[in-house]
Amino acid sequence: MFNTKRTAALIAAATGTALVLAGCSGGSSGGGGEFDPDEETTLNFAFWGNDVRAGLYDQAIDLFNEEYPNVSVQTSFLPYPDYWERRQTEAAGGGLPDVLATDISYLRQYSENGLLLDLEPYLGEQIDTGPFDEAVLGSGEVADITAGIPISTNAWGLFTNPTLLAEIGVEDFAGGDWDDYTAWIEDTTAAAEAAGVEAWGAGDWTGRIQVFELQQRAQGEELFTEDGEPNFDEDDLRDFWNQTTEQREAGAFIPQQRVEEQLPLGAFDTALTASEMTWDNFGAGYLANLGEGYPELNLIEPPVTEEGAKDLYQKAGMLLSASAGTDHGEAAAIFIDFMVNDPEVGAIFGTNRGLPASETARSSSDLSGLDAQIEEYEASIADRLGDAPPVPIVGFGNIEEEFRVLGTELMFGTVTVDEAVDRFFTEMDVALNS
Amino acid sequence: MTAIRPEATFDEAVRTAKGAPTRRKVSRKSWQTVIWFVALGALTVLVLYPLVWLVFSTFKPNAEFGQNPGLIPESPTIDNYLRVFEGIAGVPLWRFFANSLFIASMAVIGTVLSSALAAYGFARIKFKGVGVLFAAMIGTLLLPFHVVIIPQYVLFNRLDLIDTYIPLILPKFLATEAFFVFLIVQFIRSIPRDMDEAARIDGAGHFRIFWSIIVPLIKPALITCSIFAFIWAWNDFLGPLLYVTSPEQYPLPIALRLYNDQTSASDYGASVTASLLALVPIMAFFAVFQRFLIGGVATQGLKG
Repeated sequence: MFNTKRTAALIAAATGTALVLAGCSGGSSGGGGEFDPDEETTLNFAFWGNDVRAGLYDQAIDLFNEEYPNVSVQTSFLPYPDYWERRQTEAAGGGLPDVLATDISYLRQYSENGLLLDLEPYLGEQIDTGPFDEAVLGSGEVADITAGIPISTNAWGLFTNPTLLAEIGVEDFAGGDWDDYTAWIEDTTAAAEAAGVEAWGAGDWTGRIQVFELQQRAQGEELFTEDGEPNFDEDDLRDFWNQTTEQREAGAFIPQQRVEEQLPLGAFDTALTASEMTWDNFGAGYLANLGEGYPELNLIEPPVTEEGAKDLYQKAGMLLSASAGTDHGEAAAIFIDFMVNDPEVGAIFGTNRGLPASETARSSSDLSGLDAQIEEYEASIADRLGDAPPVPIVGFGNIEEEFRVLGTELMFGTVTVDEAVDRFFTEMDVALNS
Repeated sequence: MTAIRPEATFDEAVRTAKGAPTRRKVSRKSWQTVIWFVALGALTVLVLYPLVWLVFSTFKPNAEFGQNPGLIPESPTIDNYLRVFEGIAGVPLWRFFANSLFIASMAVIGTVLSSALAAYGFARIKFKGVGVLFAAMIGTLLLPFHVVIIPQYVLFNRLDLIDTYIPLILPKFLATEAFFVFLIVQFIRSIPRDMDEAARIDGAGHFRIFWSIIVPLIKPALITCSIFAFIWAWNDFLGPLLYVTSPEQYPLPIALRLYNDQTSASDYGASVTASLLALVPIMAFFAVFQRFLIGGVATQGLKG
């Protein structure tokens, strides 16, 4: 009924150019403004999420107002894609909200265009940095400014569905290298067929750019250099995709057609696959979509490429930023600090915004079930955690999507690995040079 | 209804005139009717299946989405309706309906008033540059909306009109929808000028001619415009997305999307239920105005 996809694409194209123009004229991020607790101040605050998150923010803002009664906070929320559509227009037309939730994939674009306030002067003053891990806090630094304060962290993990595995009659993946994981997938798919369960071990795990990144990092290479140049060549990518060519052809993975039939849900959401690698904050969504038949998930380490390598990393899942044009910089900083660090706010949200990045917020959240599993998981991978890669280059979203599409085409069998490599490098060239 | 009646009386007349043999004729005719109905019915079901699926899906519990793509819910429930009526984030559902209804009604009033006036000007008044202006107006039809999004946003932002309905409604009162103006212009051009001239001789000015002569004659065009303006405004997503900030001011199309959030759990049950409810007013609007539309076409023309 509402044709938003096409308009989204068009507006993205239209605003892309305008954003650059706005950035040129936007001037430096010298905004700010002192905070006077006795003066009536209004902060506009925008975040993405559904009504559940909006309810939690209302509670958190009530707490904030107990301490700062003269700051009235006007909230606005939208689902993720619509949220960015609106922000893109505001960024181009002027009028970003004073405080806004940002995402690591947009942070560079907004920051380089001078749209975000440098929070550096407030660090250690209004914004308490003590409870943060240095590396995680650093993920909000881009283009020489502190563009955002992380709310939460995510790490890459492997989810498995123990209930489904019991139905199939296979043990959970016990850890090991990529060959072990592939062998386990083959076994699971075969066992499911023998048991008469319509299920597969997993989808093709070479379909995600994050897995490629993981394997590259194990060899000490980031995907992109600090300057945003690709740090891998055709052969690396060809070798990566060829790791599962045999299994793709032999039908060890769920057929792509079956995956497409489930959209908008994924194969793991609908208990058609027993395992899936993704960011660990996706667990709650999986559980909700799987329904009552599958009450629990296991979250385990992804397969190992190189023993002792620091291939995993924690990234900021969601950040809070202030717009460069705000008149209430100090008030915005105080508000950000409260929303990120306050123990009571941490208790209100739990892991709704992801695993809290701030120690004070995390220790006061009463984590149970999957939330506790996620916390335990991120602690368990400590010896595999390395520095977070540089903030993604502008256009990374397109590159990531192209990688995913090529992954599905490999599964459909409509392209060969060589063709896919060629196409990826062509598309990447376009994305990086536009 | 009225179309069938003369046929029925004709049949009755034939039957009474010819007696027995006509019965066979009648029954053959009704057989044909049955076949037609079955064929058309089957086609309708095929075309309307997505809508039927939507209706049935509103009774599916959340867990069944993705697991049971079929039509019939395995464990039917009315929970979706109860949840939807509770509203979103403390804003009751009726509020979103009221917002949408307000925007759509104002859009209808604004569009019809302004487009009809503009169209009268183009069709009946000879002024300097009428051709160029008319071409420019048609030109805006070729301009995709997305080209003007940013300048328009800048304009309304400078006027401090963000988070009001004015950016959504004001353009409707300024005849910015060239499609409607063009439609009415063509309609007015088909009306002979004799009546205008007669009215002018009786001393009527432009407004009098417009109001007393043209408006009654272009009613069908106005009703067509109303229907489209209503549906477009009711379904408009991008406009409110850009200009409305506070959740309690959201119209339905935006509220509908708030049930889905890819970063946490999505409530598909509530989403389809709210979509279905959002369809009801638009169908009602069409059902009511469609009669006028057909009536208008039927009575159109010059009388004595």
